[in-house]
Amino acid sequence: MTITVIKPGLQSTIQSRPRVGLRYQGVPGGGAADPLSLALANRLLGNEWDAPALEATLLGPTLRFDRECAFAVTGAVAVVTLNGDEIQAHESRTASAGDQLAIGAAEIGARSYIAVTGGFAADEVLGSSSTNLQAGFGGLQGRSLLAGDVLRCDSVVAESARTPDEFRLPMSSTWALRTCIARETDLLDDDSLDHLFNTNWTVARRADRMGVRLEGPRLAVSSDGRMPSAGVIPGTIQCPEDGSPYVLSVDAGTVGGYPRIAQVARVDRHVLGQLRPGDHVRLLRREPDDAVTELRAKLAYWREWLPDIDEVL
Amino acid sequence: MLTRCGDDLFSITTESPQDAQALASHVRDSGDWLEVIPGIDSVVLQFDASTYDGDDVRQTMESVLAAGIKPLQISSSLVEIPIVYGGEYGPDLGALCEATGMSAEDVIALHTASEYTVDMVGFTPGFAFIGGLDERLHVPRRKEPRQRVEAGSVGIADGRTGLYAMASPGGWTLIGRTPYKLFDPHAKPPFVLEAGMRVRFKAISADEFDG
Repeated sequence: MTITVIKPGLQSTIQSRPRVGLRYQGVPGGGAADPLSLALANRLLGNEWDAPALEATLLGPTLRFDRECAFAVTGAVAVVTLNGDEIQAHESRTASAGDQLAIGAAEIGARSYIAVTGGFAADEVLGSSSTNLQAGFGGLQGRSLLAGDVLRCDSVVAESARTPDEFRLPMSSTWALRTCIARETDLLDDDSLDHLFNTNWTVARRADRMGVRLEGPRLAVSSDGRMPSAGVIPGTIQCPEDGSPYVLSVDAGTVGGYPRIAQVARVDRHVLGQLRPGDHVRLLRREPDDAVTELRAKLAYWREWLPDIDEVL
Repeated sequence: MLTRCGDDLFSITTESPQDAQALASHVRDSGDWLEVIPGIDSVVLQFDASTYDGDDVRQTMESVLAAGIKPLQISSSLVEIPIVYGGEYGPDLGALCEATGMSAEDVIALHTASEYTVDMVGFTPGFAFIGGLDERLHVPRRKEPRQRVEAGSVGIADGRTGLYAMASPGGWTLIGRTPYKLFDPHAKPPFVLEAGMRVRFKAISADEFDG
């Protein structure tokens, strides 16, 4: 069956799992910027956690179902309507032929995920169906949705399911990210190191799938700012010449030439996909082994609802 | 030097890009890693912290490093990359001539005279860092990076030639463009160039580019 895109939203893409192990060829992981919300949407439909779903950014799309279709919406707090009537996130339901689903402007958080039973048909490239916007591959022709696009999926009627309250990922405008020191943290002077972990940072306008710029006190690094290009991953915090920390996200380049001053721990990397301009962020300093302990505790918690959580986070 | 640089990351300092590539390919084949990322003078390793402890990973890596690494195999075949220099294809060639005091012909002759080796692939899919640039062509990166650099663009910066396999923002001094498709996600392998390959550049005309 088909789903027609009536309005594409600000930036809606098909996303699935990341591409793993290809950074040495310059291919970033990509995939859902908030993989936990992707997994939660797919869970409501009995899908594998990484079934290709729509990732909407700040303002979501309006979609028309051409036949009956079970779907679910998770992620950012936004008004979701079916034929104009408000419906709840974190509940699967079945749309009828001709129904229109609209995801409104995100009020808290940045990204919503819209899943359908079995996932959307998508181009699989280099081991994943996720859209890479920079290189233009994966998903729907490697690009974000346009009005008039036709998406394909199975027509399935499903029993309604709800995410248990304790597994509804809370959205916020103030976030705390557990963070370790990184390879070039020692290039920060004492004041800057203090600022790094004790500032209530503001998310700048530049916040997308490539990365998130943090505004606050200007950090000083004792170098000319440029270093020989070296490996980076999502959560790596660089300090460019302007002194504003830049947190790399899922689509960032695979190597970088700016000092790596901190590293968001794996336990909290999924949060990067929900940061929006104006949000506040604190970086909580953690010793690496403590961050690993907290990761394992978080995985153990989520495993009850998401058995594949080890692949999600 | 082996350094923990995050909850699930280690970084190893190397002497050269070749050492980084050799170490990376050795490590990639001999362990269970999420990412092994060689850089210009380092290798960054990401391990699965849900399964492995950092101390165990450190011990494993220390014994790998102690055992020694085979040098990188430089491939015997030579890839020739055709380039249209200057004009709309290489908008910074004029500025480079001014900075170096050389004519365009001199720059092209110099750039096409040597044989090079791919030091590293990374940043964007297939972007190739090619080492061995003549010292007379050493210029820093542009102060203001371009928002968009076309696929196939050939830039120089920091003593290297960079080949943009796909369009992206970029700060290298652009001297030309190749019609070669350096990255095709549906081809096998998807990338024309990989680290350790030998490369030579050949000047072609704009007509040959379009043909």
